[in-house]
Amino acid sequence: MSNTPTSAEQPQKLTRQQLKDLERKELTPIQRFFELIIMILPLACGLIAIAEYLLIPDKGRNANPGVYLTCLIILVVAYNVWGWYTAYKRVKGDKTPYEKLRYKAPLFAALFLLLAFYDYLTLKTGILTQPFVPCLNFVLNAFWKDRTMIFECTIHTLWLLFLGYFSGSALGLVTGITCGYSKRCRYWIDPIIKFLGPIPTSTWIPIMMVVASSLFGGAVFIIALGSWFAVTVASMNGIANVDQDYFEAARTLGASSRQLVFRVAIPHAMPSIFSGLTQAMSSSCTAIMIAEMLGVKSGLGWYMNWSKSWASYDKMFAALFVICIIFTVVTKSLEAVKRYVLRWQNGGEK
Amino acid sequence: MENQKVVLKLEDVSKSFAKVETDEVTHALTSVTTSMESGEFISLVGPSGCGKSTMLRLVAGLIKPTTGTLTVNGKEIGDPGPDRGMMFQKATLFPWLTVYDNIAFSLRMQGKLKGNEDKVENMIKVIGLEGFRDDYPGQLSGGMAQRVALVRSLINEPPILLLDEPLGALDAFTRMNMQDEILKIWQEKQQLAIMVTHDVDEAIYMGTRVLVMDAHPGRVIADIEIEQPFPRDRSSREFVEYRNDILNKLHFAGKKGE
Repeated sequence: MSNTPTSAEQPQKLTRQQLKDLERKELTPIQRFFELIIMILPLACGLIAIAEYLLIPDKGRNANPGVYLTCLIILVVAYNVWGWYTAYKRVKGDKTPYEKLRYKAPLFAALFLLLAFYDYLTLKTGILTQPFVPCLNFVLNAFWKDRTMIFECTIHTLWLLFLGYFSGSALGLVTGITCGYSKRCRYWIDPIIKFLGPIPTSTWIPIMMVVASSLFGGAVFIIALGSWFAVTVASMNGIANVDQDYFEAARTLGASSRQLVFRVAIPHAMPSIFSGLTQAMSSSCTAIMIAEMLGVKSGLGWYMNWSKSWASYDKMFAALFVICIIFTVVTKSLEAVKRYVLRWQNGGEK
Repeated sequence: MENQKVVLKLEDVSKSFAKVETDEVTHALTSVTTSMESGEFISLVGPSGCGKSTMLRLVAGLIKPTTGTLTVNGKEIGDPGPDRGMMFQKATLFPWLTVYDNIAFSLRMQGKLKGNEDKVENMIKVIGLEGFRDDYPGQLSGGMAQRVALVRSLINEPPILLLDEPLGALDAFTRMNMQDEILKIWQEKQQLAIMVTHDVDEAIYMGTRVLVMDAHPGRVIADIEIEQPFPRDRSSREFVEYRNDILNKLHFAGKKGE
């Protein structure tokens, strides 16, 4: 290639990747070797975890030993496949997947080591007392055996969560936006928020158990109340703090007062509204667990409590993992929506 | 609205503001009577507090006069509208809209975007930002943002164009470029343009008339016709004389004559 940019020549069009490549320093052979080691590390740690499980004799009784082993093997194979995929992409000229995996590789390695270590503490030595802190093989087995029930409970929890969260947030948007825009509305709503706001949502649960005709309806109400509060406050502040300059500009461009609300105030308040929605989600997650553990007769929170009373600690842990997964998924999805709606905010990319 | 002849009349217009903390009242503008019409480029120049921005905002309809009347072709000025396009010192582009949507904002608000999309595209071409059509304002430089703001207020072809220190926040070179760009558009369309500035050179370079204003209380102290053809030479004798004259009127005694 002869077209290296000289000072007189116009610099040619570059993509981000090409620019990155241009500016990157060449790696020394030692660094290259080090990079390779890091990429292989999770694989090695995965094999260590498998070896630990197979070679060290169990202290207590182990049933269905294949389940945990299968999961480990699936994880190792998955990493392997992912690694080869990034290598393939890299050869094709796209380094992004490789760099993502390279970034995460040490974490995966640590995860495998953690699994091995936990297995050693529980199944192999019993340092963490069985059956109170069950080894992962037990937890996985319990999950598989009780999958229908756990699935039903998951659906119930999600249904309760969404019903409460969405009704509360939708109502919160309406009150928040109205109050942010109209001083008279704020005059009446503000005292309610000031008075009820500091009370944590879970405080209402005992009252709900006495008053509500259906516990499910009561739980929805409590989750909705928490979401309503968070979203109302955030969107009210967002709307009230819209820069006057934007209103003036919009007015000189012929926007009606209705359009000022929907085309200027609300889009401008979106970042604030989304921080309210995120906060509402975390308060909803807390409230739903407390509601299910205290009163509601279904759902994952109830399932955990119920398993505990039967001393099925493995089931309890299985439910814990499921809760962890669904809350992560829910939060991540909300974040993805937020990133999409607020894409204008991460503008600085040049 | 195209190439509509307008006459803007201010009759004994005053505007006072109550101060926030004390009970005092500031007289931002006292009894201004003047008349302007299409084809003129009026520069309002003066120190801060002289009421030049107040005057512009009165014409825009963003504020109402305390006394007196403002009329366009005999009709009193009401709320702000797309017939009086305004450009601010800050670009005030809506950060959640792309360059295209910002320029199309006014047409969309009036429900006139359908069928006028090429108008928007054309405006993007005029300011040479074709490559930034779908970018958000956060990705633009100050000069680019002001260009977008300029054509955003021009999309309706307003017979009156109000410029509130539009170039105040730009660096010197971008600023001179933009002065010529604004002049070019104004010469083509022959609107009535009113520009607030605190830069005497800019006022003379661009204006067909310069209203010199002074503070405490805010008022117009001189109304000077600039009788020089465009494009103007900033270093010509006449230019320097105009500048000295205006600076003297504002008591910034420069060198008198040679």
